Amino acid sequence: MWIYFGRRLILAILVVVIAVTLLNAMLHLVPGDPAVMILGPRATPELIEAFRVRMGLDQPFHVQMATFFWRLLQGDMGTDVFTGRSVAAIVLEQLPFTLTLIAVSILWAAALGIPLGCFSAIRRNSLLDKVTGLLSVSVISIPAFVMALYALLIFAVELKWLPAIGAGEGFLDSLEHLILPAFTVGVSWVGYMARIVRASMLEVLGETHVRMARAFGLTERRIVFGYALPIAILPTVTLLGVGVAYLVSAAVFAEVIFARPGVGALIVEAVDSRNYPIVLGCVLVTTALFVLATLVSDLVNALLDPRARESL
Amino acid sequence: MSSEQQNQPVTGRLGALGRRTFLKAGATAGVVAATLPISQAIWAQSGKVLRARAYADLDALDPGFYQNAYNVDVMNCIYSKLVRYKSGREWDWELEAAEEIEQVDPTHIRFKLRPGIMFTGGYGEMTAEDVKFSFERVIEHDSPIKGDWGPLDHVEVTDKYSGVIVLKEPFQPLWSITLPYGAGHIVSKKAVTEAVADGGSFGMEPPAFSGPYVLKEWKPDQYVHLTRNPEWTGPEPGFDEIRIIPMDDDKTAEIAYEAGDIDYTGISLASLDQYKNDLPDETALEEYPSLYYVWLGQNLDNPELQDPNLRKAIQWAINVPQVLDAAYFGQAQPSTGIIAPGLVGHREASLIPPEGDPEKAREFLKQAGAEGKRLTLETLNASTWKTIAEVIQAQLAQIGLDVQINVQDSGSFWTMGMESEGERWKEIQLIVNRFSMVPDPYYATEWFTCEQVGIWNWERFCSEEFDRLHAEAVTVTDSAKRAAMYHRMQDLMEESGAYRFLTHEGSPVMWRETVVEPSHRPDGRPLYRHFKPV
Repeated sequence: MWIYFGRRLILAILVVVIAVTLLNAMLHLVPGDPAVMILGPRATPELIEAFRVRMGLDQPFHVQMATFFWRLLQGDMGTDVFTGRSVAAIVLEQLPFTLTLIAVSILWAAALGIPLGCFSAIRRNSLLDKVTGLLSVSVISIPAFVMALYALLIFAVELKWLPAIGAGEGFLDSLEHLILPAFTVGVSWVGYMARIVRASMLEVLGETHVRMARAFGLTERRIVFGYALPIAILPTVTLLGVGVAYLVSAAVFAEVIFARPGVGALIVEAVDSRNYPIVLGCVLVTTALFVLATLVSDLVNALLDPRARESL
Repeated sequence: MSSEQQNQPVTGRLGALGRRTFLKAGATAGVVAATLPISQAIWAQSGKVLRARAYADLDALDPGFYQNAYNVDVMNCIYSKLVRYKSGREWDWELEAAEEIEQVDPTHIRFKLRPGIMFTGGYGEMTAEDVKFSFERVIEHDSPIKGDWGPLDHVEVTDKYSGVIVLKEPFQPLWSITLPYGAGHIVSKKAVTEAVADGGSFGMEPPAFSGPYVLKEWKPDQYVHLTRNPEWTGPEPGFDEIRIIPMDDDKTAEIAYEAGDIDYTGISLASLDQYKNDLPDETALEEYPSLYYVWLGQNLDNPELQDPNLRKAIQWAINVPQVLDAAYFGQAQPSTGIIAPGLVGHREASLIPPEGDPEKAREFLKQAGAEGKRLTLETLNASTWKTIAEVIQAQLAQIGLDVQINVQDSGSFWTMGMESEGERWKEIQLIVNRFSMVPDPYYATEWFTCEQVGIWNWERFCSEEFDRLHAEAVTVTDSAKRAAMYHRMQDLMEESGAYRFLTHEGSPVMWRETVVEPSHRPDGRPLYRHFKPV
């Protein structure tokens, strides 16, 4: 197990380094100069050049990347070229908002999607199954930003039940501000999960050990929750790991549309203004998040499934 | 609608189920309401908290080293300056920290501070030494905004409260864009030198305040909180707290306003007609002319645009009202140049009528022998800009020009004409562009001089006469004479064929009239310092 964990950790670090380098290389290929954007139209060429030197922007790309990783090893993610603040401080300030949004979105999606999938499988071809199927496909097909706009117009503007923008202050206010973004980010995942759990459950319910359990006269509840669901849930756990990447991109839309702070909104703004240090910091954190989520889902799979554990 | 009618606030209807009302009505919400922070509930009801929208987050609160107007909106509240813009519909200034100020001669301005203006943090009373330090540090540290101070030589301190601003040569814009605006704010010499040893930029961490409000908290990308300055000795500011929330998207801001999350916001011209017809509850709406200028540029150094007849054909083919109808839903007026109405140098009419003339355009095109020519048109990836480009593309197609639109993101767009950024400037043929402005014509013309070719002058227009007039006009105190010089400069721009002036856009704002009585500059920018609760 520990060897497996160590191997995965090394691979994860490699993935992070390659992803950060590639994404930053792509950004450097696109024209744009942070010095011009920051210093404004009236800055002299000398001032712009001095700024570039100070920020290391005059260095070749590979030197900039090597410097970034070297500093990173020393715990320094660089300095924001606009405000002069530490990138680590800025990213860590925004990260909890994104993590909270993703966590709440995935939790409510799982809390609704998994039972719906189970019941659809148990009551196959029933009205509930058909309605769940229809709704699942519908919510999967609607892009997150469309859902966000309609949710805003209905619940914030028309009904005025919920706040439209920002992250709120204090626990209850923050919770209130989280409802609409989490709804829009998570809603398509309700559909995904319901479909996947349903399919897995149907497969598992037809397997020999389940038929055997039925033959022994075990209750349907025991069969479903004791024998079928723990196996049927495995693909969903894997999906959740991969889904973090999707949720980060959905969070970008949600943060922009709901004017919420977060890494998504930060990265959009940073790319737009060619604020390379912030882009690097955000890409590093989101890639690490994705790799971590995949790692955790693999480990959870191993814990749930003895076969997976044995194969490590 | 007459201009007078246009200036009247439009009032909305009353009575809707508010968020808090709804929450109170629900059982769950009863618990929520009971546990809400008391201060928040009271403030929201008393109207002592203003929740306003800014179109971007702050990035610099040092008046000597800032870039953007949204920073100045906050600076106006937390610092004092000798003079300030008057709120209202006409550009003018009035005394703020100065008790007296006068132009002694073209290069000397004498001022006397009002006694008793205190800096927070125990940094004492504002003196003429602070004025000297604040103004001179902009030049000494080669600030990006040192152009605002033009030919400032030094500030002479004559006594504790008095001094003389000495210029190397006359500089008329000092009264319109320097003293009453960002660079005119006064900081504490002692506080700044304690915070930054060389007296350079203190960025987002002001060491002392001298305005009616102080910066209580700035949470990047979330909000700016300003609260009353307890050491302020001037007239009491209206609000206990001002909360400014950054939202770059107009539509998001409009939704936030309608949802009751903010009480004051600028809105998009695209939404103006809709709001005029159906205003949210308890809302007032007012339109202000904007200083921005939008134009179609033609790169004079591009080999494809060397024929003056081709450039004229393009100028005459563009029907500006049609472009504005599509891009601004008919809510923007055609411009006559780069200087907005209300400013010295605004032209009453452009040389080419706004509607253009397709027949004339075809004639010019025929003379150029350029029928069926293919050209490119660069534009920013904002919906209004893209619409402008698309309508121009269609209008040019009508006279026989085939235009391909290239859409760029802002990081890429705003450097494409700069020689320092590579060879992309050579590829520019046609470009939709938009510059911001401060209320002096000097600020508009300075980007189109020969010196600016390859920097911000992307049309690469270069005229000796234009440059001479630009240099002379800043020294002229006679408004009529100065106006005539700027008229001529805009004529020269238009005659070159490089420019088709489109619009100055507009600045509609709306606010909850049960919460706030706002105060604006003539271009609609908020003067939060003077906002009053209702």
